[in-house]
Amino acid sequence: MLSHSEASENFIADAERTDWHDETLWFVRAKRDKASKVLPEWEAMREHASQIKDHTLANLGEYLQAFESKAIANGIHVHWAADAAEHNAIVHGIIAAQGSKTIVKSKSMLTEECHLNDYLASKGIEVVDTDLGERIVQFRNEAPSHIVLPAIHLKKEDVGETFHQHLGTPKGNKDPQFLTEAARQHLRGHFLASEVAITGVNFAVAETGEFVVCTNEGNADMGAHLAKVHIACTGIEKIIPKRADLAVFLRLLARSATGQLITTYSSHFHKPREGQEMHIVLLDNGRTRQLADPKYKNSLKCIRCAACFNTCPVYRRSGGHSYHQPVAGPIGSILAPNIDKKANADLPFASTLCGSCSNVCPVKINIHEQLWFWRQDLMEAGLAPAGKTIGMKLMAFTLANPVIYRVGGSLLRRFSHLLNTRLNPWYKQREMPVAPKESFQEWYKKR
Amino acid sequence: MSARDQILRKIEPLEPVNHPGDFKGASIDFDFRASLEVVGARIMTKEELEIVFPGRRRYDKTLDGLSLAEVEVLEIDGEFVVAENGAIWLTEEAMPHRVAPFICQHLVINVKKIVPNMHAAYEELKKPNSSFGLFLAGPSKTADIEQSLVIGAHGARSLTVVIHP
Ligand code: SF4
Repeated sequence: MLSHSEASENFIADAERTDWHDETLWFVRAKRDKASKVLPEWEAMREHASQIKDHTLANLGEYLQAFESKAIANGIHVHWAADAAEHNAIVHGIIAAQGSKTIVKSKSMLTEECHLNDYLASKGIEVVDTDLGERIVQFRNEAPSHIVLPAIHLKKEDVGETFHQHLGTPKGNKDPQFLTEAARQHLRGHFLASEVAITGVNFAVAETGEFVVCTNEGNADMGAHLAKVHIACTGIEKIIPKRADLAVFLRLLARSATGQLITTYSSHFHKPREGQEMHIVLLDNGRTRQLADPKYKNSLKCIRCAACFNTCPVYRRSGGHSYHQPVAGPIGSILAPNIDKKANADLPFASTLCGSCSNVCPVKINIHEQLWFWRQDLMEAGLAPAGKTIGMKLMAFTLANPVIYRVGGSLLRRFSHLLNTRLNPWYKQREMPVAPKESFQEWYKKR
Repeated sequence: MSARDQILRKIEPLEPVNHPGDFKGASIDFDFRASLEVVGARIMTKEELEIVFPGRRRYDKTLDGLSLAEVEVLEIDGEFVVAENGAIWLTEEAMPHRVAPFICQHLVINVKKIVPNMHAAYEELKKPNSSFGLFLAGPSKTADIEQSLVIGAHGARSLTVVIHP
């Protein structure tokens, strides 16, 4: 597997595409700014949401049990899975009982985390991803590169070619309207035929035992309402205490994600449809471990809006696939090492620690601080990437020694051009700023 | 030990933090017409509706999920529209089938009531009054191909809202 910096190298090889990716995501970030600034209460609402999540995490066990008993009373089957393998086995068991060979699934990062599609394929079950972006990347045998905009790494020419190969659209047609219509027709067939539908969960309400699923396309609903069996898969951290809390979260989610006022559909599944079977799978997979660590527990507040992706200068210019994880970007970089430290040791270093992620996060997760904590933990565990280890030790040493700091600084200003070499991946595709002739201290002394 | 007990046992009690209560201080002066327009809905009078969609289908319990796929224009009743974002609250009881507002080609919703924001909306919805309910804001849409907005992804291709005073 390529590390983040190696994979980024491939991504930025196409300079024009990198610029497009960068600018497009920045545009989404700008839409988020506009949609949030309309509300004078925005900052108060972020704080409120953060407190609701703090409160929930402090009482997670009780809220999970409250949710469970309400959901059961509503006629929903509740399952618990300690890890990905258990999760996949539960889902497979439900599908196998139906005897289905093809099923539909709407967007769920959790099923990506569990590699559910591959697992079901090995059992002879085909999963049709129904979110347009996810269907595109599925056809191409790729993973989503962004949790809200799964195909943001692709251009319309790529989608046109993919649909030409898989759906028989005319070669060379790259009109988004035309291609979306082709996908609509193709997926409608699957919606009407499928007996089992899998969806993700945005929020699960302890007070009522209902769960809420948000989409713009309507694909989660098309699948769930036509299928005999609906399986909703969720992480245990998606619980919120009360129905009224949804007001805060639904207001924050879409405005943070895409700058929309609200997602087109926010569906509240309270009880199964008459004659329908409804299941919910509650997954741990390392979340309880994260919860037990005061440094990292806040990462469980995430509502998966991807605002931190869109604002991140590293994500925008390296692309989602360079993070080699289903959840990329800044939040992915603090979640992934918890699941596998060694395999994801590069990710906390894929950041400038500029703090922009923490500034936009609707639930006020201290993302950049956690990135820094992970760097320290990984250093201690001897897992940090080699180049970074030397750099970090040098930095700690320099900052602790004022004399070396000053002398080093003056040397650096004279010889900074030497840094811009092949040895330092940071300078790929970057111009080194010209170093000032005198340091701030020198300048200040002269005044 | 079952996965359930394993998980619950692993959840360490953390220092207690109070729930902050209901959110206070939300803006209320939103123009529902502007919001409906932003989410891509059209507003029509009853008279205009007769001219544009004379052959539309009304709520009809005999329509099942699959036969709804054949319906061109469906008219249903919503409970209220939220002025801040143009979302309309719909419940299963007011639809022939849960899939109705998604599977028809064009959707018409009658609304009698307007609430200012989502907090006011959930005041109305304190107790779930329905097995299934949703906020619907405009027609189905996607921007998954190069961020170009396309209306009519999987759900209805258009939404028309009729406000009844
Ligand atoms: S960490 Fe915050 S900004 Fe990033 S996806 Fe989660 S909620 Fe959104």
